[in-house]
Amino acid sequence: MAISLTKGGNVNLSKEAPGLNKLLVGLGWDARATDGAAFDLDASAFLVKLDGKVRSDGDFCFFNNKVVAEGAVEHLGDNTTGIGEGDDEVIKVELAKIPADLDKVVFTVTIYDAETRKQNFGQVSRAYIRIVNEENGQEITRYDLSEDASIETAMIFGEIYRIGSDWKFKAVGQGFAGGLGPLAASFGVNV
Amino acid sequence: MPVLNANSLLLSKGRRLPLTDIFANYQVAARFQIGLSITGLSETVDFACFGLDAQQKLSDDRYMTFFNQPQTPCGAVSLAATAGDPAGFCCQLDKLPTRIDRLVFTAAIDGNGTMRQMQAGYLRLLLADTEMARFSFNGGDFADEKALMVGELYRKDGAWRFNAIGQGFNGGLAALVRHFGAEVTEEQAKPKPVENKVSLSKITLEKRGDKISLDKPKTANGYGRIVCNLNWSTYTPQKKSFFGGQTAGQPIDLDLGCLYELSDGTKHVVQALGNCFGDYGNLPYIHLAGDDRSGEVAEGEFLYINGSHFDRIRRICIYAFIYEGAVSWTQADAVVTVAVPGHPVIEVRLDSQGKNSNMCAIAMLENSQGALKLTKLNEYFSGHEKLDNHYQWGMKWRSGRK
Repeated sequence: MAISLTKGGNVNLSKEAPGLNKLLVGLGWDARATDGAAFDLDASAFLVKLDGKVRSDGDFCFFNNKVVAEGAVEHLGDNTTGIGEGDDEVIKVELAKIPADLDKVVFTVTIYDAETRKQNFGQVSRAYIRIVNEENGQEITRYDLSEDASIETAMIFGEIYRIGSDWKFKAVGQGFAGGLGPLAASFGVNV
Repeated sequence: MPVLNANSLLLSKGRRLPLTDIFANYQVAARFQIGLSITGLSETVDFACFGLDAQQKLSDDRYMTFFNQPQTPCGAVSLAATAGDPAGFCCQLDKLPTRIDRLVFTAAIDGNGTMRQMQAGYLRLLLADTEMARFSFNGGDFADEKALMVGELYRKDGAWRFNAIGQGFNGGLAALVRHFGAEVTEEQAKPKPVENKVSLSKITLEKRGDKISLDKPKTANGYGRIVCNLNWSTYTPQKKSFFGGQTAGQPIDLDLGCLYELSDGTKHVVQALGNCFGDYGNLPYIHLAGDDRSGEVAEGEFLYINGSHFDRIRRICIYAFIYEGAVSWTQADAVVTVAVPGHPVIEVRLDSQGKNSNMCAIAMLENSQGALKLTKLNEYFSGHEKLDNHYQWGMKWRSGRK
């Protein structure tokens, strides 16, 4: 049974799934049921150091830069593999490959063209992030953040981070003003 | 009169927050009011409150609160106009059965208008006649929606929250009701009796060949936005017995389209078949919207003609054809309306028997020295080519499927 987290909650992935190395981070939301411009949501990942910044722009994993840190994190884009069924976007992480000078991987979702389309997360239903063990397909933890998202157009869904030799996942659910550009800049990416 | 409250919370679209953030020290036994308003539309706007279950469905019709059912059985929600608002509801949430998870406040236009035509609107929450929060919106926030989910109150982790939704459906109340998983009662398709009554709002052209010539436009906008509507669904927004278990027969798919000829001699077609949807802002200034294959969009199909550019149009032949389902026109029970802004709506009822003819020419719009001339045709053909020949359009045809 997967652990359901609320905002701010965390789980020790290494304890919940001993030997965990390859994991899938699934992000999802409901398609728009009402009439109007579709919601176009993009998932991204930032590999950051202890100070919360990327080493270089190459540590920003998104639709135009899908494989980063020599394959430690890979954006699978639209989920066409059948793995992690139901997720809208999937990001693959191999913990053993994450370079020692990187401390955490932050997962974000931004609404594309939110300003012109007058959209925000308050209009998006059932947004979630979940961590699945790729080896056995088991869901380890999940965070449903719809209620924690409101008038923001960019959201930090969650992050995985090192604690000694263990890895933990934290349900962040924090909104961010502005789109993907300003969000990336806040992680030290030159945009 | 409600007390003005300078500290009333302004809620923007998409905002979610606990009810306790709106009403300080809120208790579920407290009675509060929801006030609703939409102004600037010539049509009536009907407001309702839908009490939904945890699956967000209206599993119990009695929890739709509206003019014909002014109160839920439990008394938790009642229709009660708040002072100063066109519509309102009184809520006392502790009376609500636990299976009712969500109260969605909706607005639906009873007519042809769309939400973008409104001037302004709001949903506000009041306690003891004092406004505590307000979600304001205007026509610029919307497009062709005819029904809106304005806002909702919902349970989350044992507490009530509010969400300013501001989203809706072009299909109007019927689409909204369907979204909530309820059935809409539709009348059995039956031949309409000949209507002899005098209609103040519509001109009905009964005989073939009747003509109406509209005065030449006096403004720079020409005839404005000319709206042609083909509606074959017999759905009527009944004020009583809204829901029912009647199942529709085989879905009927009628298509609306037109042949057009521009002043420069260009000839073409606007119809769903072949994906010729036209363009409203550019040539041919004709746009087809809402191809509805199933008849589920209660308002049918719309063809918009940009009357500001009527000088570029020589003639338009509007037709309907049976794409799938209907055996005869009497079964389809179709009606076409043509609405020119500032003029009475012209209505053409397709009441003749078409013998093995799946296509019906409905009306001809002609530019007669700047004046719009409309002729009811009501002629039946076995296909596009026959129709084309009859009106001497002179285009080449091949078969297709959408």
